[in-house]
Amino acid sequence: MKITFLGAFTVLLAAAAPAFAHHSFAAEFDQNKPVTLVGVVTKVEWMNPHTHFYVDVKDADGNVVHWDLETTSPNALSRQGWTRNSLKVGDTVTVHALRAKDSSNIASAGQVTLADGRKVFAGSSEADGRKALAGSADEEPGTQK
Amino acid sequence: MKSPERKSSQWAINRIDPPMPHRNLACNVLATIALVSWLSMTALAQPAAKKQADISETAQPTPRLPDGKVDFGGKGVWAPIWVLDWSDRKYVTQPVEVPFTPAGLALFKERRANNSKDDPEGYCLPAGIPRYTGTPYPFQIIQLPDRVVILYEGASHTYRVIPLGAKHSADPDPSWLGESVGWWEGNDTLVVDTIGFNGRTWLDYVGHPASDQLHVIEKFRRPDALTLLYEAAIEDPKYYTEPWTTSFKVRFRPGWEIKEYVCLENNKDLLHLGTKEPK
Repeated sequence: MKITFLGAFTVLLAAAAPAFAHHSFAAEFDQNKPVTLVGVVTKVEWMNPHTHFYVDVKDADGNVVHWDLETTSPNALSRQGWTRNSLKVGDTVTVHALRAKDSSNIASAGQVTLADGRKVFAGSSEADGRKALAGSADEEPGTQK
Repeated sequence: MKSPERKSSQWAINRIDPPMPHRNLACNVLATIALVSWLSMTALAQPAAKKQADISETAQPTPRLPDGKVDFGGKGVWAPIWVLDWSDRKYVTQPVEVPFTPAGLALFKERRANNSKDDPEGYCLPAGIPRYTGTPYPFQIIQLPDRVVILYEGASHTYRVIPLGAKHSADPDPSWLGESVGWWEGNDTLVVDTIGFNGRTWLDYVGHPASDQLHVIEKFRRPDALTLLYEAAIEDPKYYTEPWTTSFKVRFRPGWEIKEYVCLENNKDLLHLGTKEPK
């Protein structure tokens, strides 16, 4: 599987940020299981309490693995400027996420990046995540790029 | 945008406080998540909302009704931060040393130990009082001469109708939001007194407990057009040895509207929370 495990603490914050407000995050997702997925979007559920999108990821042997990515509510996403059409079936995405504790192929999505580099959905955490990856704490978070 | 709020939150993210005796790491992580979430909600990439946020930097005087009472309405919504813990200064005006009874402390510790997996809100059940005001979903306050109506977007779409000048029923049927009556203290403070709870709600995400003996006195004030001062006095002899009070500020978001929020529409999380029932 094309999965990279990352260790930076603040990356998980960026990844974790979208899954707020409805249920216990810590009971469902594992802060110690950050994962990066690259795949093709097969379905988008723009629904409360959490938007879900599904991504097919090819592993090293060419087998397709189905992933369920959860992010925040459509209400919150729309207030950040996203729409139900911001992410489309067929889009290739890179997703930084935290895996479910039960090891199912479910994860809480943080950064979602399209093939052309645009951030969607949880892109509001983009600056924090990028900063964390760069190891810099000086830049004010949240500056939209 | 470089408001003082932003700076303060940035500081909080970078420096997580040491755990209180009754809090664990998960609690702090959750707190940090909430702050990051709040930043996401309020100040980050908001192509549509950014302009409104800029406009709202300039506070206007408190709006008032013709009779001089505070008008809690206007074209917009109240958009609270996510208050995970009504006793934690990360969210509230003053930290609170919660006066648990042994039963209250035991239940609180149990919920902390299992990461709030059995939180009723995870089941899309009503958040209760005062928790509705501490969800990160907006609400609106509509005032009529004889009642106040509060419309809550989440986290499950509901409303309260609060009669003004009414008395409590002798024995109200237990309910999720209880039985509320309201009155004014002068022209500036709306007081809402609520009893008759069913004992199935949590006061907040971290799991401060509430029984059917819960009694909440809320106070709503609007010192300027963009600020709601919310205060809740908690009384529950089963879980607390004495009443305790918490308060925080809620910001008005001009131009925002309440959206539909049907929590049961796609609530897939329960399958992975390890919970069997809300409790």
